[in-house]
Amino acid sequence: MSVLAANDRREIEVHSYPLLVYALVPLAALVLQAWLPRLVGPYVWFDLPLVVTVYFSLSRRNPLQGMLLGAALGLFEDALSHHAIGVNGIAKTVAGFLCASIGVRIDVENHTIRVLLTFLLSLLCSGIYLFIYRVLLGMDMEWRGFTELFAAIGNGLLAFLVFPLLDRAQIRE
Amino acid sequence: MGGQRCRLLNSRCARTTDTAVESFFSRYRNLLALLALLVVQIVGLAVQVRRVDSGRATFDARDRAGVRLIRLWANAIVSPPERLIHASKLGAAGLWQNYLDLRHVRQQNQQLQLTIDRLRLEQAALLEDARQGQRLQAMLGFREKYIYKTVAAQVIGTSGSSQSQVFYIDKGSSDGLARDMAVITPDGIVGKVRDVFPRTAQVLAINDQTSGAGVILETTRIRGILSGNAAGQPEIIDILADQRIKPGEKVLTAGGDEIFPRGLPVGVVEKIIPDPNRDSFIQVIVKPAAHLDRLDEVLVITSTQPQFSPQEQQDIAASEALKGSEAAALNEQKKASEIMAERLPGLIDPNLPPDQQPLKDNSNPNPPPQPPLPLHPDRFTPAVAEPSGPDAGNGSTPSDSPARQNAHRSAGDRPKSPSTASRPSREPSHPRIP
Repeated sequence: MSVLAANDRREIEVHSYPLLVYALVPLAALVLQAWLPRLVGPYVWFDLPLVVTVYFSLSRRNPLQGMLLGAALGLFEDALSHHAIGVNGIAKTVAGFLCASIGVRIDVENHTIRVLLTFLLSLLCSGIYLFIYRVLLGMDMEWRGFTELFAAIGNGLLAFLVFPLLDRAQIRE
Repeated sequence: MGGQRCRLLNSRCARTTDTAVESFFSRYRNLLALLALLVVQIVGLAVQVRRVDSGRATFDARDRAGVRLIRLWANAIVSPPERLIHASKLGAAGLWQNYLDLRHVRQQNQQLQLTIDRLRLEQAALLEDARQGQRLQAMLGFREKYIYKTVAAQVIGTSGSSQSQVFYIDKGSSDGLARDMAVITPDGIVGKVRDVFPRTAQVLAINDQTSGAGVILETTRIRGILSGNAAGQPEIIDILADQRIKPGEKVLTAGGDEIFPRGLPVGVVEKIIPDPNRDSFIQVIVKPAAHLDRLDEVLVITSTQPQFSPQEQQDIAASEALKGSEAAALNEQKKASEIMAERLPGLIDPNLPPDQQPLKDNSNPNPPPQPPLPLHPDRFTPAVAEPSGPDAGNGSTPSDSPARQNAHRSAGDRPKSPSTASRPSREPSHPRIP
């Protein structure tokens, strides 16, 4: 992982995508996240909206866009569940912001680094989720640490598979 | 001069302050935006949560208007693609099943037709029994819910989160669905309708941590509340440790929660573990009867009141017509017997006073023959006094017959004639049979 100097930041490439990709990829992530559990049963060890948030935040390197995308996808996820709206929204807002901020400071073109970052951010989101429920809201909620670990691994694997596909949709100048 | 200088300084100060503020905002723009977004969402969360009497926090059972609007939008965006995917899947499966894989269909169709005919007859009989049972229960003041109307629905999506065990079905308020309706499969209960949209509905499964259903163990008759745990398994909570509860025992709905009708299968006891938070309490892990992870079609109970389909009404009418003809035949028989009873003399008319009983009526020209009285007493029949008076030689008159005597006794009008008084006893002295 190479840390960039301040002068190098201007040289960081900001990727752009066709407008359709911006619209369809998050939507597809939401739909598949809601539909795929029907095939895999109780093993919902992935979070497609988080993977998409991480990808676009790293590619765009704009914290504002990253956090807005994260907030929107998180709120959608909350709206599809029966829990309070905002828990996932907060978690993914923070994830989007951190991703984009990290993307500005370090070189994240490396595929392995992106996958590792997805794994870590997945754990962070789980931690934020738990913090909001138990501390902020003071609600009883059983928690299984292993499930969250498996989910983080699943997100890493998903990132490993999906990021190269999305890279192909970049607009090349 | 001094004033101008001061004004100039002021304007410079203001400009400097503006620049500082601008630079502050531009420098920390992202951080401020993050804070603003977080604060807005935290305030939104605080609005949705309330404290209950026990001090615990919980979500509002009913969403506020704003929250519901967000859910509606999310549902409106996600549901159409989900329907499309589901329809494509069904279409592919239908193409194979309906056009390609058609072996033995004709034979199956014939067998099914026969089965339908048989079941239709059985259904008519069972419906009649059910109605009769309900009438009896109504007479006893016993309220019982029956499943009378269900709506079949396809599962089109889930919440996508392992923390939220809800799923979406392709029927909504336009199909007659409403909140808190029970959702079942032929195998067992599944959950209840939590939220209803125009063309979709959200169902809260029984294995969610926030769900609750009243259940009863079939053999031990122990009641409890079914809820989900973190692993997504349904478990019965709030029951005292009991040695009688064994794995494999069936769990049924208790019917007291006003959602699930009584007696529906829930599952079987899988294992019993002690409650980690309370001594002497246990948690009974239940293996659900319905396959909660692989649901394709479910039934929503839209009515527990008697509402029959036209076909069912036809069947009932047919069975009632059959029953009516039987009743008419019975009525005819009854009427004939009544006519016969009117023509034949009765022994005792309870509506008449004793002295006007039909046996006293001498208008009958052909009185029924009376058995002759015994001449000598024996151990079975008491002796009869020798006839004396104008009726001597005649043996006895109808008025002195044993039937008459009995009629008088039953009316409390004992005969006081000396002849009768001289008899030792009118009661036959039957020998005691060991």
